Amino acid sequence: MRIAVTGIGVASGLGYGKAAFLQGLFEARGVFSELTRHGREPAGGEPPFVGVELDEPPNVLPARLARTATLSSRVAMAVLQEAWQDAGLDQVDPERIGLVVGSSNPMSREQALAAQRYADKLEFVPPRHGHMFLSSDIAGLCTSVLPIRGFSQSVDAASASGSVAVIQAMDAVRSGRVDVCIALGALQDLSGYDLHAMRSLGVMGGADHAARPGEACRPMDLAHYGFIYGEASAALVLMRKDLSMSHNSYGDLIGAGHIADGSRGPEPNSEGQVRAALNALAQAGLTAKQIDFVNGHATGTPQGDFEECRTYHSLELHHARINATKSIVGHGMSAAGALELAAVLLQIKEGRLHPTRNLENPIDESFDWVKAEPVSHEIRHALKFSFGFGGINTALVIAAP
Amino acid sequence: MGNPLDNTEIINILIEEIRETVPELEGQPISASDSMVDLGVNSIERSEVILAAMERLDLKIPMVQLHGPKDIQELADLLLVKSAG
Repeated sequence: MRIAVTGIGVASGLGYGKAAFLQGLFEARGVFSELTRHGREPAGGEPPFVGVELDEPPNVLPARLARTATLSSRVAMAVLQEAWQDAGLDQVDPERIGLVVGSSNPMSREQALAAQRYADKLEFVPPRHGHMFLSSDIAGLCTSVLPIRGFSQSVDAASASGSVAVIQAMDAVRSGRVDVCIALGALQDLSGYDLHAMRSLGVMGGADHAARPGEACRPMDLAHYGFIYGEASAALVLMRKDLSMSHNSYGDLIGAGHIADGSRGPEPNSEGQVRAALNALAQAGLTAKQIDFVNGHATGTPQGDFEECRTYHSLELHHARINATKSIVGHGMSAAGALELAAVLLQIKEGRLHPTRNLENPIDESFDWVKAEPVSHEIRHALKFSFGFGGINTALVIAAP
Repeated sequence: MGNPLDNTEIINILIEEIRETVPELEGQPISASDSMVDLGVNSIERSEVILAAMERLDLKIPMVQLHGPKDIQELADLLLVKSAG
């Protein structure tokens, strides 16, 4: 069964909404700077963290609810509202609509701040803290505001959470459990503690770029040396193709692969990536030769980028155009898979590919990278990769509508 | 607290916390004879109001001892009694 994407809502450093996202992507607008959100201060003497922070989300919640919702939840509501209206879901039976939220430790910064504030006066911990920091609170808030009555759940697959949410939503539609399923990649609100740990782990860059933050994020470039965090969130409305005919469609999800490679930590695994891609292609009834556009996971960690290029080699993707959305908006962590799928679908609609920022000297010249300038390109079949710590590899095949 | 508490101070703090917790009550008068339930403050919010007020007053009274008051006045009276030990 083909599944159409009929609604999209996005939030990134480029702004809220599809229009700002598209324009910013094609301009490859610079949005990186020092992180200044409270709770992300570096240790004394250490360089500040570099990345992308969102503007305040639009007020879509009553003030009474907004004050009890974390940043991740408020941003989720903003992107969900956009996707909901885009797809016209008010016309659909609420019991036939599901919601899958991809999230991974989504409210870490605010929870750390709360733990500090109440450290020596636990008696006064506000009761709402008993539910508002649970990852399930995002879906709880969303379903309390919008008429989603099929089912709701959260799935955690680290930086592949957004992609796994899409895959779970595809399964829910295919199985007949619901007719419409929303996949939402939640903002992963990293704390200073998380940022230090990522830096210590050797996966996050930016420590030498405090003075030139715009040059820190360089997926697939020889000067890459770690991913750069970028706050983001995205929602996609998936609908049974046969029910979507009266709806505007951005593209169809025709294949998905999601496998475990047996790694525990951050180490990438090309064999696992290839297996995920082959599963997705088999489901789509396509070969890699029929893929004309690849949107990489492409975080900018040296090991990850090299391993991913090995995957492109194994699949013989030299003919396909390739870009990396993280080069512009940073690494959205649990939101990345959903946000970047939105980027793929919007590029299909535009017939144009966005630049890969800072890709000056590709680590492998045998591929057809989209570098500093956008290019016109009619996409028929796209391949989208997303990987997560813990040996999680996913691939999606997307067809033009 | 430097000064001994009085009821008016506790009532004012409770009303401020009700307004903070339920911003939709802006513009609606709230007096000591109102009950939080009648104002539409739900049960989680009522606990929030009382804990936030106790934090500001530096009162540590188990919540289970604070059931029963029928309006803001009675709640303030009870907090005052409990704070005196």
